[in-house]
Amino acid sequence: MKTTVKKLRLLLVLLILLAAGFLISLLQGPVETNFHDLWNLIINNDSTFRTIFIDLRLSRALLAFLVGASLSLSGAILQGYFQNPMAGPFVVGVSSGASFGAVLCIYLGLNIRIIGFSVQSIFAFASGFAIVSLVYLLSQRKGVFKVETLLLTGIAAGALASALTSFMIFLKADSFEQAVFWLLGSFALSDWNQITAVLPYFFLCFIIAQWLAKDMNLLVLGDDVAQSLGCPVSSVRKIFLALSTFLAASSVSVSGIIGFVGLIVPHWIRILIGPDHRYLFLFSSLTGGIFLLYSDLLARTLLQGELPIGIITAVVGAPFFIYLLSQRK
Amino acid sequence: MALLEVKDLSAGYENGYVVENISFSLKDGEFLSILGRNGSGKSTLMKALQGLLKNASGLITVDGEDISSLKVRHLAKKIAYVPQIFSFSFEFSVMETVLMGRYIHQGRLGGISSSDSRIVEEVMSLAQIEHLKDKKIAHLSGGERQRVFIARALAQDTPFLFLDEPSSHLDISYQVEIYQILKRLQEEKGKTILSTEHNINLVIPYSQRLMFLKEGKVIALGEPEKLITKENIKEVFEADVEIRENIHSKLPEISLIPKAGEKS
Repeated sequence: MKTTVKKLRLLLVLLILLAAGFLISLLQGPVETNFHDLWNLIINNDSTFRTIFIDLRLSRALLAFLVGASLSLSGAILQGYFQNPMAGPFVVGVSSGASFGAVLCIYLGLNIRIIGFSVQSIFAFASGFAIVSLVYLLSQRKGVFKVETLLLTGIAAGALASALTSFMIFLKADSFEQAVFWLLGSFALSDWNQITAVLPYFFLCFIIAQWLAKDMNLLVLGDDVAQSLGCPVSSVRKIFLALSTFLAASSVSVSGIIGFVGLIVPHWIRILIGPDHRYLFLFSSLTGGIFLLYSDLLARTLLQGELPIGIITAVVGAPFFIYLLSQRK
Repeated sequence: MALLEVKDLSAGYENGYVVENISFSLKDGEFLSILGRNGSGKSTLMKALQGLLKNASGLITVDGEDISSLKVRHLAKKIAYVPQIFSFSFEFSVMETVLMGRYIHQGRLGGISSSDSRIVEEVMSLAQIEHLKDKKIAHLSGGERQRVFIARALAQDTPFLFLDEPSSHLDISYQVEIYQILKRLQEEKGKTILSTEHNINLVIPYSQRLMFLKEGKVIALGEPEKLITKENIKEVFEADVEIRENIHSKLPEISLIPKAGEKS
């Protein structure tokens, strides 16, 4: 019962932070606005600042939240999948792979949509999936993952994908901003279309992950044990790999590579509430969303111009990652 | 009535079979110990019997049903497994670990039912781990950990209990304690137990039958009184021993003979 109280308390804190984050995001920006303006819009339907509040700030805050939630959920899944609390979409190379796919699509000029899916997100998904499959094949021996091989192959594959991405940008980029967008991430170009490109995937993946959360609890014990406890290992593994890639790819195709969120958030949540994935998936998503919401606030208010958000998450995430490495026995 | 039958089982990994032409049956309520040297195929056989190996041929039936046609969830209600190695990447508590044995009896999203809590309480007391309930697995001693995994297997509420070297990495008092618990499970709960072991003397008092495995093949199968002979031990373990009678159990027991020239 003690743990239930702890979870409820954390949930309350997170919901307060979430509400506060959205409120600050709505009020902060280059155009001076105050709470009264926002009140006028909501209550009196005064449309003076409608575009600024709704189309610029709300869409941006919502996108930051969704991307953070998607990346953290992806990380929570990957950490379970690789039975390793140091995995994440960036570390395992999925993010870089997805970014490569998205940029390749732009490079080839394929800007069309097929039954609601943009070709760009299909490319991002396919190349992210290729990278994670490669890392999976190289880092396991008889169903056991070696941490060192996992991290090294992930980093190597990610570096290769990033190099190819940079090369294409170098050949064709219209601007320096575009390169920064893909390699360091940004929400500066957010709009409602991008929200529709992330929101449905996030909800679908979240529901499936939650549905299979008990199977994930078994999967982290190793394949043989999981199966003897009733988990259909091979099909569950396939589903989780697809989910984590989908989440990372849809995030990357709207906001570029934002590193470390998917690593540190699920890891930190596991320390707080334990490794039960029935709660881990929910709390990681919520916390990841809040983390990016505030990171984006910093990114757009810290300096005069826009700071790439990937710089902020790396400044927070990289030292944490090093700390984790040093804690290993 | 629980019955496991194995006919012409050969199984192994990508590079070929490790165990070959294994046929035997496990009778309701018996305790069968598989003995053999390291690398003789004990663990491989244990995995193959649960359908965990893809490279396998032959037939394994549980209560008349071919296990290859059974759903994973269904088989997990028949056979529970206590593995030899366990990874600790994630720090589940003892309670959480034991509850995982109940997953096959629960809905996907449902919580703990009253029968779940009753069974978990009962198996924790059988395995003598009630006092460890809220501890993390990684913080336990080897013997405590082994008892937690036995409790998790018991929570599955299966007729069969398979254990892979349950006494490995444990000191002598824990080894005996584990086997005492297994004996109680067999007698009080009617479990049919299959266990691999390399410590011969340890299992003799507890096993109705022994299976000697060498290079993936069954060399002998039968009651300890008949199987524990100087010749069999020489053949299976390539060790010179004397057989004597244990003064307490009156059962046969092996006594090692130091090799000539190794006197110190």
